[in-house]
Amino acid sequence: MTTFLVNAGGLALMAAIVWWFWLSGSNSDNSDQHH
Amino acid sequence: MGEAPVLRTALSISGASCQGCAKKIRNALEPLAGSTELVEVNLEAQTVALPEGVDVAEAARIVTETGYPAEAIAEPGAESGSCCASKKTTSCCSSKAQEETHKPDEPAAEAASATEVPADGDAVVLAVTGATCASCVNSIEKALMSVPGVTHAHMNLADNTATASGDADPQALVNAVESAGYGARVIEDPDSADDRKQEEDKKQYKVLLVKMAISLGLGLGLMIWGMGFGSMMVTEANQLTWINLGILTLGVMVATGGHFYTGAWKAFKHHNANMDTLIALGTGTAWLYSIVVVSIPEALPEMARHVYFEASAMIIGLINLGQALELRAKGKTSEAVRRLLDLRAKTARVIRDGQEQDIPVEDVQKGDRIRVRPGEKLPVDGVIAEGSTRIDESMLTGEPMPVSKGEGDEVSAGTLNTHGSIIYEATRVGSETALAQIIKLVKKAQGSKPAIGRLADKISSVFVPTVMLIAVVSALVWYNVGPEPAVVHMMVAATTVLIIACPCALGLATPMSVMVGVGKAAEYGALIRQGDALQTAGKIDLVIMDKTGTITEGHPAVTRVHAVDGDENRLLALAAGLEQHSEHPLAEAILARAKEDEVSVEAVTGFEALNGKGVQGEFNGEPVRLGNRRWLEAEGLSVDALNEAAQAITREAGTPLFLASGQQVLGVIGVADAIKPDSKAAIERLHQAGIKVMMVTGDVDATARAIAAKAGIDDYRAEVLPEDKAEVVSEMRGKGYTVAMVGDGINDAPALAAADVGFAIGTGTDVAIESASITLMRGSLHGVPDAIEISRATVKNIHQNLFGAFVYNSLGIPVAAGLLYPVWGILMSPILAGAAMSLSSVTVVTNANRLRLFKTSQPQVSAEERN
Repeated sequence: MTTFLVNAGGLALMAAIVWWFWLSGSNSDNSDQHH
Repeated sequence: MGEAPVLRTALSISGASCQGCAKKIRNALEPLAGSTELVEVNLEAQTVALPEGVDVAEAARIVTETGYPAEAIAEPGAESGSCCASKKTTSCCSSKAQEETHKPDEPAAEAASATEVPADGDAVVLAVTGATCASCVNSIEKALMSVPGVTHAHMNLADNTATASGDADPQALVNAVESAGYGARVIEDPDSADDRKQEEDKKQYKVLLVKMAISLGLGLGLMIWGMGFGSMMVTEANQLTWINLGILTLGVMVATGGHFYTGAWKAFKHHNANMDTLIALGTGTAWLYSIVVVSIPEALPEMARHVYFEASAMIIGLINLGQALELRAKGKTSEAVRRLLDLRAKTARVIRDGQEQDIPVEDVQKGDRIRVRPGEKLPVDGVIAEGSTRIDESMLTGEPMPVSKGEGDEVSAGTLNTHGSIIYEATRVGSETALAQIIKLVKKAQGSKPAIGRLADKISSVFVPTVMLIAVVSALVWYNVGPEPAVVHMMVAATTVLIIACPCALGLATPMSVMVGVGKAAEYGALIRQGDALQTAGKIDLVIMDKTGTITEGHPAVTRVHAVDGDENRLLALAAGLEQHSEHPLAEAILARAKEDEVSVEAVTGFEALNGKGVQGEFNGEPVRLGNRRWLEAEGLSVDALNEAAQAITREAGTPLFLASGQQVLGVIGVADAIKPDSKAAIERLHQAGIKVMMVTGDVDATARAIAAKAGIDDYRAEVLPEDKAEVVSEMRGKGYTVAMVGDGINDAPALAAADVGFAIGTGTDVAIESASITLMRGSLHGVPDAIEISRATVKNIHQNLFGAFVYNSLGIPVAAGLLYPVWGILMSPILAGAAMSLSSVTVVTNANRLRLFKTSQPQVSAEERN
């Protein structure tokens, strides 16, 4: 159970990083310069 | 100070390429504007600023008639809103106001910057604090670009300034940078900003050292205590002590590394990640894990009850130490500019109403008469009115020998009067002086970023989030397949990855080297205007040179006068009559000869200079022409009778100038221009660097051949019109060469602009040559190989830095993640990662500073040789 929770937490954290820094950030003005 | 009329950009012009054109336009508009002082010609923007109330349509007509097609510009302000109408300092329109409205005398500094170097004039420069790495650069540039009106934004990590071009509100720019997690303020006066920055840096250095001492002291203390007297493992006996130590560590972390956490939080809010993010996450993870261990040790297996408070404290201490060292080294890189700033005199001895008085240099006005005694520095630019002396201009031009100056000669601010006492009249003050222009150019170039640096920025923008992903992946791998205690290993691996991966070295790699390289070039009298030129100059494999004033002295002398009817004095009188209206070096030679022979100059009217052909005017109702054979023949005149004399002139590397009155050819005058003493040696240096040298000249083939042979030039093109020089440059570029064009910046402007790198040869007082990317302040051609050698050394240095930074990160991250563990059982400690990270930025900065010791291959020229 702990193993599952740690791995699931890790994957969720990675998804959150991708979403926060790449996906959700690109709706702002920044995306124009970023790409 | 009196109320000076306000100037407005009134005309857009074309075809004005040099200071000579600007002078013509000023003179032409003098009757309309009241004074040439009230006409400002901006060669780069191709505009003319005039006082309010001047008939702009009439001005346009006059300028067009002078030879520069001009158009009136619509009244400014109509589209810029009401805020611009009141004061130029109004923040919402200050950049626009700077561009379009200024007073010629009062804020001379701003007026000059707005007209002379507009690329700078319409930009807002911010002093930024808290930026430490390539990701910060990216975040700040993104934040600035998001402000409406910004067309270009650039952050320079080497001197912590950000420049935003366009017409954005400066306050909005400050807000944007602040909301991205950094401090910012607008730099109003760049000169005082330098002093202020130096003070701030000193203070910051001390603060960082204190912070370092506290956090490193705690970390080391904990480590020694843990290893020597207690244990880093939590037991029932020491649990309470560890809890107290954990709280103490948190206090120290906040006190000495608080800026990392606030910076990280601000960046996070804006979907950005930077070096602060990595440090905050790394140290935060270590502390959080440790506090969980000491609070609920029973939740973890016994082997995993290890605390890492000392790691958090020591990492912060080491990074503070790294930043302190970096700050100190950064200060050294801007030494070149500081040395230039130190050249400025603080006071001037002005003669007003017959009284001599010492006044601050800022209060000196144009037209003031200034006395300078031996051993004193000249406070402003001007023209000697009384006395003669020898002036040491080495600080501006790199020329080691003092130069003789007498009445009527121009002198520059910052130079040293070595010999006699002189009185001179101020012609350029404040930021109009050559010295101020040089400082401005050097600063601007130091802040610019070559293409290679932009690549590093692109990479770093995705770098930090990627590192975060790698940290999570390595933690999971350690948890799932690593040995016990898995929890400890996963925490150590993730923390170490986060700490070691900080891209600070990557962010510093390019700007540090550019800053030192541009400063070094300035020491050698080469002003590099853009970082890109620095990078391209290293790749040059063909140098095309103009002849007159570049390879040769540019002060030709008359070698032969041959009249068809034998009356040489009449020939000289007419030629001098024509040339007295011209500023061309050939004209000076003819006038000098006429004066020497005591020939009275004829009154020729209707003077007109025809580029690449010659000059013409009217005498006794007849057209008089003085120029090259091709032109006269094209006008239907035969010069065959003068063939023999012309050939003799060209054999001596002279230029034959044919004089005709009406349809009758009167004679030929030979003018020769000596090769500069060091041109041959400079060309030899280019050859040794593997660079081909080519000469383009408007001269006839025989003259060109003679000069090329004497100077050791590989190839030449003769009888090239000024406008065709650019074509030669394009042709050679088309053949695959990376071409540098070297010219005196007057007729060569299009060719200078067409080349990959344009070198303008100027004197110390003529540095603002607009079309070239590199200006050589000294007349010597050695400046070209010097600049190329410095450029090559700088690019090599950038490559070393980038290579080092990339290798550090690409090796450091896998090692930190534990890649060596399966083979050798090595897992890096987070403390070591912190030290390595600090070391990497210190290494990059130190390597860039190594450039300061670079010496070019220029031979030391003795005083006798120069004279």
